[in-house]
Parts: sequence; structure tokens; C-alpha cells
Amino acid sequence: MSNPKQEVMDQVRQQAALANARLLVEKLNEHCFERCVPKPGSSMSSTESTCMTACMEKYMASWNTVSRQYLGHAQKGVGSGQAIGGL
Amino acid sequence: MDQLNISPETAQGLQNLSAKDKQELNQFVQNEAQKAQIQSAVHSLTETCFRKCVTGKISAGALDRNEEPCMRNCVDRFMDANMTVIRHLEQMRTL
Repeated sequence: MSNPKQEVMDQVRQQAALANARLLVEKLNEHCFERCVPKPGSSMSSTESTCMTACMEKYMASWNTVSRQYLGHAQKGVGSGQAIGGL
Repeated sequence: MDQLNISPETAQGLQNLSAKDKQELNQFVQNEAQKAQIQSAVHSLTETCFRKCVTGKISAGALDRNEEPCMRNCVDRFMDANMTVIRHLEQMRTL
């Protein structure tokens, strides 16, 4: 191998991304199934699948919002908790 | 996370890394671990706040004008709550 350091770094990055994606898929499924299919019927209705896709997008939007807000805190240090909450 | 798939050649190569490379690799792994920890916190916070803020019927993919600020407040208040717990524990300890 020409560059073992690079190889290990690539693998670590890739596996971290994979683990993160897996967890997200798991949560999406869990929450959206809970919300969109309250009473499972004999087949998935169109209302249910529309709800599922909307829910997925909403959950991912939530993830991004939380991530942004959380990182805002991490960078500014924990203050009153209102550092950027008012924007 | 799965195990790394390291070939014998790579393992051998790692042994022979320069001190500088070793140090850089070490730093990289530490950074990745911290990143993973932050992501994991974001996952669990998203879960908590989604439950609290997205309570209505789900009809659109975007967060609506109530949900968006609710999510942000949820993060802020969670941190406040966290701080309160730590401060109070600290106080209990010194009493």
C-alpha cells in the first residue's frame, strides 16, 4: 500500500458516514411509521405513503435545524441559551 | 461502527509511519470521534424535539412557521436544562 495513513483516514470517514446514515434511516422509519401508519391495514394507502415522504423530509429538516442550533451553542460556549435562539 | 478492514500491508505500513504522520493520524481519529459524538447528540435531540414540536398532521415536507422556532427553542431549553442539572449537582456536592 502506498499510503496507509490516507487509507485508514478514508476508511474511518466512510464508516462514520455510513453509521450516521444508518442511524438516520432507522430514526426516520421509527418516527414516520409511528406517525403515518397508526393502524396498519392490509396494504399501504396512498395517504400513508404521502405522509411518509413528507415526514421524512420534515424529520431531515428537523435534523438540520437541530444540528445548526446545537453547533451554534458548541461554538459560542454554553451561555444563557439565548445566544442565537432569538433570531 | 463496523471494524476497519486493514490489510496486512497497511498494518505494516502503519507501523512504519513517521512520528509526524502518526501524530496527524491520531489527531484525525480524535476529531472524528468528537464529530461522531456530536452527531449522536444531534440524533437524540432531533428525536426528542421532533416529538415535542411536530405534533400536528404531517402534510408538508418543510417545517412550518411554528415547528421551526419550536425546534430551535427545544434545543436551547434542553441545553439550559442540562446546565441547570449540572449546576444543581455542583451545589449539592459543595453543601
